[in-house]
Formats: sequence, C-alpha cells, structure tokens
Amino acid sequence: MKLRTIDLTLAAMFVALMAVGANITSFVPFMTVGGVPITLQTFFALLAGLILGARLGAISMTVYAAVGLVGVPVFAKFGAGFSTIISPTFGFILSFIIAAYAAGKIVEKNRTLPAFIAAALTGLVINYVLGTNWMYFAYKLWAAAPDGFTYTMAWLWMVVPLPKDIILAVFAGMMAHRLEKTVLSKGSFSFLRKAA
Amino acid sequence: MMEKMIFGRYVPAESVIHRMDPRSKLLIVFLFVCVVFIANNFWTYTLLAIYTFGMVGFSTISPRFLYAGLKPVLWLVIFTLILHVFFTKEGELILDLGLIKIYEEGLRQGIFISLRFFLLILMTSLLTLTTTPIEITDGLENLLNPLKKIKFPVHELALMMSISLRFIPTLMQETDKIMKAQIARGVEFSSGPIKERVQAVVPLLIPLFISSFKRAEELAIAMEARGYRGGEGRTKYRQLSWTSRDTVMIIVLALMSVLLFLLRD
Repeated sequence: MKLRTIDLTLAAMFVALMAVGANITSFVPFMTVGGVPITLQTFFALLAGLILGARLGAISMTVYAAVGLVGVPVFAKFGAGFSTIISPTFGFILSFIIAAYAAGKIVEKNRTLPAFIAAALTGLVINYVLGTNWMYFAYKLWAAAPDGFTYTMAWLWMVVPLPKDIILAVFAGMMAHRLEKTVLSKGSFSFLRKAA
Repeated sequence: MMEKMIFGRYVPAESVIHRMDPRSKLLIVFLFVCVVFIANNFWTYTLLAIYTFGMVGFSTISPRFLYAGLKPVLWLVIFTLILHVFFTKEGELILDLGLIKIYEEGLRQGIFISLRFFLLILMTSLLTLTTTPIEITDGLENLLNPLKKIKFPVHELALMMSISLRFIPTLMQETDKIMKAQIARGVEFSSGPIKERVQAVVPLLIPLFISSFKRAEELAIAMEARGYRGGEGRTKYRQLSWTSRDTVMIIVLALMSVLLFLLRD
C-alpha cells in the first residue's frame, strides 16, 4: 500500500472537514431544523469516500476516529477523548470508515449522478446498521442492560433522525457529482483524479 | 479555539502521571479496560475504586476538569443505574410502591455496573487530561510499530493525525470567513423553507472544498520540496523516554489485576 504525499494531506484535510461538519451549528447557528442541531458528519464521511475513493476515504475516516480518541474535540458536540470508546454512539464513528469505503467502491467505475446518489444511500444504510447494532450491543454488554431493553427499542431510537439523514445523503451524492464535474475535472485539480 | 484544538482536553500540570511516558499510559488504560470486567463483588469493586481514585489523586487534576470531561457520559451511568434498579427482577423484594418494585439483585447490579462504567470513564479521561494529543499520537505510533511488518501504514497514520491537528482550526476559521463573505453577497442562511436553506449551504461548501483541496496540494508540494519521502529512516524531534516510573506503574496495575482475580467470586 503506497501513499503519496498528496494522499496524506488530502486525507488530513477531510479529517479537518469532518471536524467542521460535526459542529457546523457552532459556525452556522441557523443550521438547526426543528430544534435539533444538524451534524454534517455522515455527509462529509460519504463525500470522503466519493471524492477520495474507497481506500483513501476509509483511511481518512480512520484518522478522524483516532484524532478524536486522542483528545482533540472533533466529534459531535465537541466530544473527544478515550472515553468515547465506551460511548454507545461510537459505532457510528467507526461505521464512517466502512461507509466511506463502500461509497467510494460503488462509484469507482461508474461516475454518474445516479451512481453517486446510490453510493451515498448505501453508505447511509451501512452507517445506520452498524451504528445501531453497536449501540444495542454496547447497552447489552457494557451497561449489561436487562431484558427490558430490546433490539426494537434501539431501532425506534433511530427513526427520528432518519428523514434528515436521507435528505443529506442524497445531497452528498449530488454535491460529490457537482464537485467532480465543475471543480475536479479542471486542470489544476488533476492530482485528485489520480488519488481517486 | 486554536488552543483548544491543539491541546485537546489536556490540562497542564507537573504531576507523576503527567510525566509518565505516553506509551505506558496507553498500555495502562488498555489493561484497565480489560481488568475492570474481572470485578464482581464488593471487595473487587472497592479495590478498583481505590486504584482509580489513587491515580486521579496522583494526577493533581482538579475535579472541575474531571467533571467537564465526565458530563457528556455521566447520563449513561445514571441511565444504567435506573435501568437495572427498575428492570432486574431477581433476589429479595426490598421496596414495593405498587407499580414500581425494587429488588435486591437489581439494586446490587445497578450500583456495580454503573460504578464500573464510572471508573472506566474516569481512567480513560485521565489519559487525555494528562497527555497532549501529540504525545498520544507519538506513543501510539511507537506502540503500533510492529504492525509495519504486515504493511499497516503506522507512520502515515500518525503523520495524517498531526497534519489534521494543525489544519482543524484553520478550516474552522475559513468556514467562518466564507460564511460571512457569502452573507455579505446576500446569501440567506437563516430564513426560508428547508429546501432553500439546504441550497444555501452550497455556496458555503463549494469554496470550503476548493480551499481545502488547494491547501492539501500546497502542503504536499511544500513537504516534498523539503525532502519528505515517507517514514523510512526518519528521525524524531520529540523523543519518548521510558523510565523506571513507567515500569513501576505497570507492575502496580499487574499486581492489582492478580489481586482482583484472587478476590473475585
């Protein structure tokens, strides 16, 4: 596995973008829909896969998780630190790695708008399935939740943010496609083409 | 903001724990996360609590900072306690309020498991409170070195972590700047239906992407111009030093684990 210098810096930039996206409401206070602050974590994670490609996207998301774990407040609500590992929502952060990989893999050969949107939605499904299962097992194992806490309960929890995330995923697909057509195809960004 | 990003949750002080090698601190935290599950009765939990509070005491970190770190996860501890107290129906009935029945086993389990949680969070927070992100990154790189044999890009990951540490505040400022520039040009972020507000994010994100791609390219060129050619044969400015203090700390934890094994039911 050979990484060029530009690959390293690009992946690092996406980590910084994730940090901005996780707490976008603190820059753009009006990005709040119905009282719930929006995070653009999934959005940027999907874009990382779509733009950087499967391998580099996944590497970038791994670095994001690692940077948060060592104590830099890059997670949502400026969360950070090793204790995040125990948090039931840590599964979502880990799922970004696989979501980015899958999204990148799907558009590897077919770089059309429908493919981008399909890839983003696939990534979202991975994000939800992994994150929710992790949450369920975290409550079961670490908190040793008794039988009163069922698998269905964990999923019901996730129904609320679902519509917003679907919209954002479709938007991520469109955004990646637009970046590809208008920005990345220009000569000065040809280095990205080789990265993807 | 800049300070907060570079130092993370680090609280500077001159304590034994602060001066430990990041590698030994990482090892201790990993070991602790494993041995915490051995405890299953009063004495084992007491031992764990004494150890954890001992470490907290050595670190001389004020409870104010500890609380700030604990706050986001503290509800989980309370949630665990409530879940067990109300839903575990084993052992003797100790309180009967009609609908709410509290059983002895439920109370016991609730207290033990939330205590286990609490101690885990305390120990893991201690690592990030006494060690800077850069130190932990160096320590991790060093500990994961053997993985290079299986072609795992340890050096590259550590370098990417350092680069992103440097660029997180920059991109945050950039976001702020672009937003203000676009508002000056008449972009409406704050009003209108959701569809229009989502569309208004486009003039924020496109410049943000372009500027971060440019920065990535410039940085890569600058690095290569200064002779960067991968991790092979690179030397370090900050050297890690493992002292007898670190060895002692690891031995103490190992002894405690043995004691836990002997005391458990």
